[in-house]
Amino acid sequence: MNRAILEFFKKYDYTFMVTMLAIFIVGVLNLYSATHSHSSAHMQNLFKSQILWFSLANVIAFGISMFPPKSMFRLAYWAYAFNVLLLILVLIMGKEGMGAQRWLVFGGFRLQPSELMKISLALALARYYTKNSPEKELYLKDLIVPFIITIIPTVLIVVQPDLGTGLLLLLIFLVVSFYKRLRWKSIGVIVLLGLISGSVMYKFGLKEYQKKRILTFIDPYADAKGSGYNAIQSEIAIGSGRWFGKGFKKSSQASLNYLPENHTDFVFSIYNEEHGFFGSVVLISLYIILLMRFIWLAGSSLRFFDSILAIGLMAIFFWHTFINMSMVMGLMPIVGLPLPLMSYGGSSILTFGICIGLVTSISNSRNLF
Amino acid sequence: MFGDEELIKLHRKRATQVANIILVCFGIILLRLWYLQVYKGDQYHKFSIQNRLRKEIARAPRGMIYSTNDQLLVDNIPRFDAVLTRQYLKNKDETLNRLASILDMDIKDVKSTIKKHSSQARYRPIIIKKNISLKEVAQIETENASLPGVSVDTFISREYVDGEVGAHLLGYISEISQQQLPKYRSRDKLDYHLGDFIGQFGIEEEMDKTLRGENGFEYVEVDALGRKKKYINTDNLFQGIQDKMPRPGKNLKLTIDRDMQVAAYEALKGKSGSLVALDVKTGKILTMVSTPAFDPSQFSRGLTTEYWNSLITNEENPLRDRSIQEHFSPGSTFKPFTAIAALEEGIINPNTKIRCHGTYRLGRRVYHSWKRWGTEKVNVRDALMQSCNIFFYKAATDMDIDSLAKYAKMFGFGQRSGISLPREVSGLIPTKEWKLKRNGIPWQQGETLSCSIGQSYVLTSTLQLANAYAALATKGKLFKPYVVDEVFDYNGKLIKKYEPELIREIELKDSTWNAVREGLHRVVNQPKGTAWWRRGFGNNMAGKTGTSQVIRAQSAENLYSKCSEMPYEFRHHGVFVAFAPYDDPKIAVAALVEHGCGGSTAAAPVVEKVVSQYMQKYLPEKHKEFAKKEKAQYLSFLRKRNAAREKAKKENEAQESASGAEDDSAQED
Repeated sequence: MNRAILEFFKKYDYTFMVTMLAIFIVGVLNLYSATHSHSSAHMQNLFKSQILWFSLANVIAFGISMFPPKSMFRLAYWAYAFNVLLLILVLIMGKEGMGAQRWLVFGGFRLQPSELMKISLALALARYYTKNSPEKELYLKDLIVPFIITIIPTVLIVVQPDLGTGLLLLLIFLVVSFYKRLRWKSIGVIVLLGLISGSVMYKFGLKEYQKKRILTFIDPYADAKGSGYNAIQSEIAIGSGRWFGKGFKKSSQASLNYLPENHTDFVFSIYNEEHGFFGSVVLISLYIILLMRFIWLAGSSLRFFDSILAIGLMAIFFWHTFINMSMVMGLMPIVGLPLPLMSYGGSSILTFGICIGLVTSISNSRNLF
Repeated sequence: MFGDEELIKLHRKRATQVANIILVCFGIILLRLWYLQVYKGDQYHKFSIQNRLRKEIARAPRGMIYSTNDQLLVDNIPRFDAVLTRQYLKNKDETLNRLASILDMDIKDVKSTIKKHSSQARYRPIIIKKNISLKEVAQIETENASLPGVSVDTFISREYVDGEVGAHLLGYISEISQQQLPKYRSRDKLDYHLGDFIGQFGIEEEMDKTLRGENGFEYVEVDALGRKKKYINTDNLFQGIQDKMPRPGKNLKLTIDRDMQVAAYEALKGKSGSLVALDVKTGKILTMVSTPAFDPSQFSRGLTTEYWNSLITNEENPLRDRSIQEHFSPGSTFKPFTAIAALEEGIINPNTKIRCHGTYRLGRRVYHSWKRWGTEKVNVRDALMQSCNIFFYKAATDMDIDSLAKYAKMFGFGQRSGISLPREVSGLIPTKEWKLKRNGIPWQQGETLSCSIGQSYVLTSTLQLANAYAALATKGKLFKPYVVDEVFDYNGKLIKKYEPELIREIELKDSTWNAVREGLHRVVNQPKGTAWWRRGFGNNMAGKTGTSQVIRAQSAENLYSKCSEMPYEFRHHGVFVAFAPYDDPKIAVAALVEHGCGGSTAAAPVVEKVVSQYMQKYLPEKHKEFAKKEKAQYLSFLRKRNAAREKAKKENEAQESASGAEDDSAQED
């Protein structure tokens, strides 16, 4: 028995957890730096609760890693169905925050079902693609069911409204489908469809503030003190870091409140201001190591479900990282997506913890189960 | 379990593709980062510093003004405003009530002041009460903790040490007005802003550019809301960004003598008038006072409505500078120049005697002397002494007005003296051409008669009179009067020294100079002279009294009615001009007392005080010597007169007839 446990821990894949920890340490230091000079004690103590959330996330991740991927395969649709139900509940009785209904409150516990939905979707898609002729290349018609699987929660999330997370689900769907050998021709059609539906959406479907974000992205200086303010201040923060940054706790943009939300969406700007281009290369390398590890695992996994799930989870990480970084440096309109393990936020930390737990389980299963 | 290894291999290819796409994405991110941080890094770095820095104007202290004896006349003193910053305001009603009680204000006024500024940013302080007392400052500071949002702001107030004394000369500063802004910007090529204080009157206005210095700027760190941070990080972030120290304004040393200035102000206090004293050998203005005056300090402290109203509703208009910005008929003080014209043109000679009849008839018009009954025949000296109108009428009968004007203008009348002070009037010396142009009517000889005694069209300012008499004192040296002696910087280094500027040297016959100067000496130093009774002791003055008629076309009735019984606004202005000491003249002094009736009763004592002040301060030995001599002369005169009176009394008693002439000092001239 003891031997078995020893064997287990010997073969346990710590790489994901260690990389996660590395990014988190950078993240929590950065969070501390961004909030230490803030006037309110609540803000100053954010990094402490971030540590608590991270600890919880680790416990959950470790717990999940104990279960074999087989059980996830079984639970996939249930998790999906349950999560969609939660999303509907949010619309009916959700708590409002920042002008959108995103939270469910159970007792004193706040839950953001849209966060978990990313994982549930990855699970559901992995299971669907595993079940239906996994050997075939995908044609457009093969995308109909997975698209429906994706679009139901997407719509529920977009009407909250949370356009960013909604789009993220679509992007996860695209990555997973691409991985499941979607034909290049079909990809071309999808891109075309996406452009058309996108412009139709813009014309009729978007709210005023969402349109403004996009316009602001195109020309932030048109309203530099208003809607363009964040984008400009963020670029200034990043650019002013130059090669090596201003140094830890020396961000002027953050300490003087030029960047609002500097503990959530704009942590990367503060990081860049303080650590410069050099620091960014280090941080981005950590993200790339993590993502490459995901992809390597997907490519070397012997079971098809595991492989697709790993890619789906990778997609969650990747899109968060890429979109957040792009938006703060003016490559994309500002959508409120956190930077994994860097931005403050319990739900987001837990989501990424679960991802890490799942992927560790997959990795372990190659040797253990 | 679900697939096989074959299948997995199929997806390896896609995995590599996914990896590649992701690497490309991060490549884009890194490229963008390189662009922002390395390629444009310096620019953004500059932005981030500008972001947090606010350039604030560091106001240059205005130059100080000193008297000729290096006494401080105008100073800069810190004063305090009570201000409220709404951003930090808590317990609004409680705090405002307490503030109102500390400042002794009505809570309604406090609230309406705040309301007036409600549109401005909340972090901007609102001035609740200007210029609060030190006690109020202390109270606010000690209760600081319980008065969130209330604080004390310091500002530099321009303080005029002697208050109203010489207010018009020194002038005042106040905020530049919206209308002045574009004008001054283009005039001075300086970037004036609202809130800048500029000289608006007197020396402050004239020398504004010298006094104002050069504003600097300093950077203060502010946060996104524009709030000032307490400290500035002194790390390498601020390389290349430097404050500019303000350059203090330059100091002025005036030619003004503070003691004489105070003496003149004291003598004129309660009256409307002006006095100018100048150094006859240089043209330096020693005294320049106009009353009623205002307190210039009030303007830089922020005028209260009450004070402003009291200034503009005062009928005597304290804002008017009566020394150079007003002109008036010089009256008999103009007679010396008529005498000079007559002597030089050969109409009379120093010994020509003319009978001082009570009336003089030219054509149909009758001209009166100020004494109804004619006296004995007099020469020009005695005519000046007694201020005999008839003498000058007769001399003027044969005189061309243009030649009178020629001599008057030689002495600086009818033109600006050129003193560097704003808004000087030129006065008026009429000529034939001038009248034809103005009225379209040719000159009439009768008008020459009026002009010859300084009435009719002739207008002069106090300064012109003083300067013309200075030329009499120096036998023809007419200087350009000036008030600023030296400009020096805050280290005391001399930057500019103003030198006397001779306008012209008037060349007249020696006999003319002597006749006129002796005449003026007799006015003061002979018992029959019009200023004999008011000369004081120890000054050895020579001068001339004058009456500036307020109402024209007088009937014989009101000509001889007692001035002091007339309504105030119809009373004559009294004028007196003198130079002293007679043997070696140093100063010339002119005084005007509006509605003061006679020149000797109203104006001469004022001049006498200022001259005495000068003599005591600069020529004490001579002053004592003269005083002794003049007192002796006075006593012997009294003795003689009393003896004569005794004798007359006895004769009268014997004859039982009416009494003789009383002391006539009350109504000479």
